[in-house]
Amino acid sequence: MPIIKNEIWYRIKDGDASAFGELYDGFAGAMFSLSLEILGDRWEAEEVIQDVFSYLWRKPESFAPDKGKFSSWLLVITRNRSIDRYRSRKRRLDRGESDDTLAQKPDFNLVDGAEGATQSDERSHLRSAFKDLPEEQRKVLELSYFKGLNHVEISDHLDLSLGTVKSRIRLGIEKLRNSLSNLRI
Amino acid sequence: MQSLKQQALDYTLGVLPKEESLLFEALIEEDEEAQNVLTEALDDFASLSLTAKPSKLGHEVRKRVVEHCQPKINLDPFLGSKEIETLRDTFSSFTDRYTGGGGSVDMSDLKNSVLKDDIVSNYENLIRLLPLVSGDSRAASGDFSELQNQLRSHDSFTQSVHKTLDHGLQGESPASRSVLRSALSSMPSLAFFSDRLRADQATVGDARRLFYLCRDQLKIMRSSFRDLDSERLIEDEKLRYHGAGLLRTKWWGAEHAYFSSNGKVRCGHFFDGPITERCVEFAEYDANMYCLANLLAPRSADGEFHLELLKDTVPGCTLAVTSAKMSENNFKSLASVIDRKTIVGKGLEQDIFLWDLIEDSMVRGHKNDSIKELREQMTYGYNRMNDTTYLWFAWPAIPNAQ
Repeated sequence: MPIIKNEIWYRIKDGDASAFGELYDGFAGAMFSLSLEILGDRWEAEEVIQDVFSYLWRKPESFAPDKGKFSSWLLVITRNRSIDRYRSRKRRLDRGESDDTLAQKPDFNLVDGAEGATQSDERSHLRSAFKDLPEEQRKVLELSYFKGLNHVEISDHLDLSLGTVKSRIRLGIEKLRNSLSNLRI
Repeated sequence: MQSLKQQALDYTLGVLPKEESLLFEALIEEDEEAQNVLTEALDDFASLSLTAKPSKLGHEVRKRVVEHCQPKINLDPFLGSKEIETLRDTFSSFTDRYTGGGGSVDMSDLKNSVLKDDIVSNYENLIRLLPLVSGDSRAASGDFSELQNQLRSHDSFTQSVHKTLDHGLQGESPASRSVLRSALSSMPSLAFFSDRLRADQATVGDARRLFYLCRDQLKIMRSSFRDLDSERLIEDEKLRYHGAGLLRTKWWGAEHAYFSSNGKVRCGHFFDGPITERCVEFAEYDANMYCLANLLAPRSADGEFHLELLKDTVPGCTLAVTSAKMSENNFKSLASVIDRKTIVGKGLEQDIFLWDLIEDSMVRGHKNDSIKELREQMTYGYNRMNDTTYLWFAWPAIPNAQ
């Protein structure tokens, strides 16, 4: 994970604009990639990033440094805002285009070779660890985290019991964590 | 323990029922183990977040983001002005508010068939353009070829605006007003950015701006001509809150153009919450904002102008305020347009139309046919404090909306 220490949050809370810029330079890319993965729409993903940064600047106390890592909080808040938009878009059906169609669109967002090569080992390791998860765990995690489906919706979608949905999420997450800790040993 | 872990995962995913969420929040305040489990869940999902395919973020986004750190423009002197005091004293809330859709005409109300054809052709070109500038288009990733082909397949929108204005519209009839709203609110800026793209001088940020302008223009046209695209208009007429955030998103750090002038928009910290109840109302509100911007931008001393949306400053209404540093001469020119005195400056007939469009909308929005009364109540207007000129309009707020 890009290194964002909680210390930067204290500076932002004190109104340090340069810390705000540093945070953007070090971490906005990861937040944007996540949002774009969920929304599949560059403008909407940019709006999410803008919203999250604006929220942070206006209400820095929304994060409590004694309750976890700043970077984790930023990613989860980015995910939640992206999912809110995704759900609201689904409700509106503005595009009249199914998610499947979106998923089949050509990929215009790949990073170039140079940037790809500089991706941290940790990120590429995580991506391959996620890919290596058993299909049934990966599918449930994708639907839950990246598509924002609740357990009941996943259970209906995949014809599974609620208990199975929950346990697959838990097991998938634990495997990812173990895989990451192996990398750090 | 297993249950605690599950709760933490569900809480982080946002799928824990509300009551259980509240109980869980109370638990983590006093139970260290629960807190640790939640921290672990946050970290786990953060790791999962990083499995997303890496994508590049445009440089212009950084500019917009760091702009949040700039100090807010101090509007206190303006908000304490006698004009706004008058507005506070005279404004009364509505129980049955206007939700847009007024001021719309049938295409058959247009007697000039060339003009009618131009409007239909523009609308169709814009419909074809929208998906080519959307966030999942090739243009959004910097490949403008498809977009440029489309733009070059018809006359530029700039030519089209000039052609419309060449018809010598006087603006008295509702049909003329609809044509003018379609040609003079968001269209000049849209024409500017599409010309830039046609000429191969654009950035991804310009494509983004064109997307918002195109979307807005289509809605403004549909709300101006009710039978232009009745199928989509049905959607526009459905009840659906539109937040101030929509305006903040598209105006924040934007470049704005009006014919030969272009400038930079600086936004304040717009309030959070809904501003209109239907797309047709939003289109009208939006057109008003563009009209204010078009009046100010060419007269700004430094090319910059400021936008702010305020709520509760005047109870019961939202207040759209635009301001710019302005020379005395440019202020006189603007004042002469608004007060219909001897016009200071040449070629300002269009500016009179812009102000007319705002006035029409105020009549509808405030359900008051008397322009004189609306002006006296300072429902909309202008003033100047030191070297800054302010233009504003009040719009009835949605009751009980958060």
